Amino acid sequence: MSDSDSEGGRGESVLARVVAPFVDRSVAERLLISVAAILLSIVVGFALVLVSGRIADCSTAAWTLPFTGIGFCYDPVEVYVVLFNGALGYPFAVGDPGLFNPEWTPFNLSFGLTLSETTLLIFTGLSVAVAFRAGLFNIGTQGQLVVGALSTALTVLALAPLLPAGPVAGVVLIVVGTAAGAVGGGLWGAIPGALKAYADANEVITTIMLNFVAANVAYVLVLEVFRAEGSSVVATRYVPEYAQFRPWLFPASSDFALLALLGGIAFIGALYYFVEHTPLGYDLRTSGVQAAAAEYGGVNAKLTTVRAMTLSGALGGIGGSVWVLMSEGRWMASIPDLGFDGITVSILAGNNPLGVLPAAFLFGVLKGGALEIGFRTDVPTELVAVLRGLIILFVAMPEFFRMIGRYTGVTGGGLGGADTVSTTEPDETAGGDGGETDA
Amino acid sequence: MRNPLSPAALLEGLTGSSYVRSLIAGTVGVLGLLGVLGFAFPESIAGDLAGIVFSASTGASTARLAAPIVLAGLGGIFAEKSGVINIGLEGLLIISAFVSVYAASVVGVGNAVLGVPALGIAFLAGIAASTFLSAVFAVVCIEFKADQIIAGLAVWLIALGLAPFMSTVFFGGVNTPNLGVSVGWQYSATMVVLATVGSWWLLNRTAFGKHLRAAGENPKALDTVGVSVSKVRYAGVLLSGVLSGVGGSALALSIGQFIGTGETMVQGKGFIAIVAYLFGNYNPVGTLGAGALFAGLDAMQIRLQQLGYAVPDTLVQTIPYVVVIVVLALVGRTQIPEAAGEHYETEE
Repeated sequence: MSDSDSEGGRGESVLARVVAPFVDRSVAERLLISVAAILLSIVVGFALVLVSGRIADCSTAAWTLPFTGIGFCYDPVEVYVVLFNGALGYPFAVGDPGLFNPEWTPFNLSFGLTLSETTLLIFTGLSVAVAFRAGLFNIGTQGQLVVGALSTALTVLALAPLLPAGPVAGVVLIVVGTAAGAVGGGLWGAIPGALKAYADANEVITTIMLNFVAANVAYVLVLEVFRAEGSSVVATRYVPEYAQFRPWLFPASSDFALLALLGGIAFIGALYYFVEHTPLGYDLRTSGVQAAAAEYGGVNAKLTTVRAMTLSGALGGIGGSVWVLMSEGRWMASIPDLGFDGITVSILAGNNPLGVLPAAFLFGVLKGGALEIGFRTDVPTELVAVLRGLIILFVAMPEFFRMIGRYTGVTGGGLGGADTVSTTEPDETAGGDGGETDA
Repeated sequence: MRNPLSPAALLEGLTGSSYVRSLIAGTVGVLGLLGVLGFAFPESIAGDLAGIVFSASTGASTARLAAPIVLAGLGGIFAEKSGVINIGLEGLLIISAFVSVYAASVVGVGNAVLGVPALGIAFLAGIAASTFLSAVFAVVCIEFKADQIIAGLAVWLIALGLAPFMSTVFFGGVNTPNLGVSVGWQYSATMVVLATVGSWWLLNRTAFGKHLRAAGENPKALDTVGVSVSKVRYAGVLLSGVLSGVGGSALALSIGQFIGTGETMVQGKGFIAIVAYLFGNYNPVGTLGAGALFAGLDAMQIRLQQLGYAVPDTLVQTIPYVVVIVVLALVGRTQIPEAAGEHYETEE
């Protein structure tokens, strides 16, 4: 961190200078790597769409490779235009005169769906990020979300008949329901934390296993005990309308509530403050960077591990609460992969709570755009799942981008310098250290 | 000195540690008790259970279900012993399952290419796809020093997206049409046994096995004697790709279809494979035992349903996962290779 002062002003990009006051060079480098990873995965996705367009059958070519006349069934440019433009509700008028679509308002259905995904991913992203900072790789956010969602749904369904219907009861139910989700997810997250701390069980394996256990047990519980009568799918009853987040400004079918998004942003701020500016957060960070040194410095490493996993699980559980109270209105068996997307969000964000917001928004756009791709093009929507995997893969290999940086001579903004490598080292090995070498 | 190839020494080597021995003894003991109880009280649950456990159809479906778990698990041993934790086994199974069915449908069942029948081509294509993906993983981990866990996760997620994507492109839906043929359980069982014995021999009786273990335990020592750590690690990861490719192809071709809904037809078998080799303590024979145990539980559960016992199948499917957590909690520290998960810089 100190070398950013000594070298400040020399060869730094405008971007780095703008963000310099509150980030050090390792953060700037991570930002560059994340952006490069996204661009690279878009390029690979482009090629994938082209290749599969060569294989698929169609009568007229949707796209022709310049100068060669080779036709392709899918138009990759159109796919990305639909993906990003569609996710925002088509603010840009493509093909029409004028850049902007005059009829566009931010409160449209597509943008609402995108923000709904964003909101959910903020919670799961934070969940993974907080564990990462403590040197723990929580792959179990998905399971914690499932458990949290179920405890929220059951708590609200149990309490609703006891209170008179109305807005006051709604507020009480939402608060209590979210707390129940946090407790459920937190307890489920505490299990691998305790196993790691007191039995030395590798948390990567235990959290993956607990994901399957959570999904299966919750499924059987709802199937056998809490299933709504006459429901064709495995799901609980709907929670009352007044106990769900209201879709202010946005269409109700977008399943998005501005209040929930604001709540998520508040959580980002709170978590940032917690990790960076509180004694507990300091314990968490130091045991993530250097577990032995932290213990030597008086940090109770075992307790910190359990606390971090509990907090991580609680955040995942709240994600589940929001999913029930905002998106579905009930618990149902086909829960989307929000927990796994949270891993991507957190890795993309460099495990920094502040980075979770843009990363979650990007994935919200990908998810919202996937629906548009399904509506408007013939390209399978699974493309977005491939992009997700590619982004993780590329973000995981910073050395690749440093190599490119060295070859092309780009050293500005903190990319490629040997000193930068050393400052980012603790962060990068944090997950690995917690995962394997200690186990 | 004892002759290392004498039957007694072989048996000693195969069963390895006392841990694996007690595992085998426990399994045999439970099966024996069940057999006696079932014979004594044929009308009770024990009787039904014994009937299921010792029935031919349960055996057949156990062999079918065990193939992907054991083969991917064996692959995982090679990768992890060399120092690269391959958590992407699930992805390798998914991609090979899809590509094998696709290749079979392209060639056409009943046709042959250069004398190799369609199903043979299917296996080769599945293995090639899985090996290619594992090669990407190897380059990312070894060349670009990626975090192995994150890269492995990426391999899984890429395959999870790519297989249904390709299936939709080729066949218009995430599930492929059924080929109309299937590979019998005898073939799966034979492949599993051959792969287990071959892996054990490779790991314990060859110079390559020694290098592999050294690359995971003490890469510096290996480097000092002039063996390239990177090459050995590449070999380990590629072997995991080959073996997972056989497993994924065997899984899909055993029913003649690729199913791409949800978590795809692989449904976490790659993760159970990790568990199987941890449970078997990195011993191929132990992995075979653990894989057969998990697959057997699954097969038994299917038969129990058919006999009308109202055991929710999802609960029975949960047993392996819970077993793993309990075992990890009790055993805790698995004997993970010393340098697994770490990059190795060659000293010039």
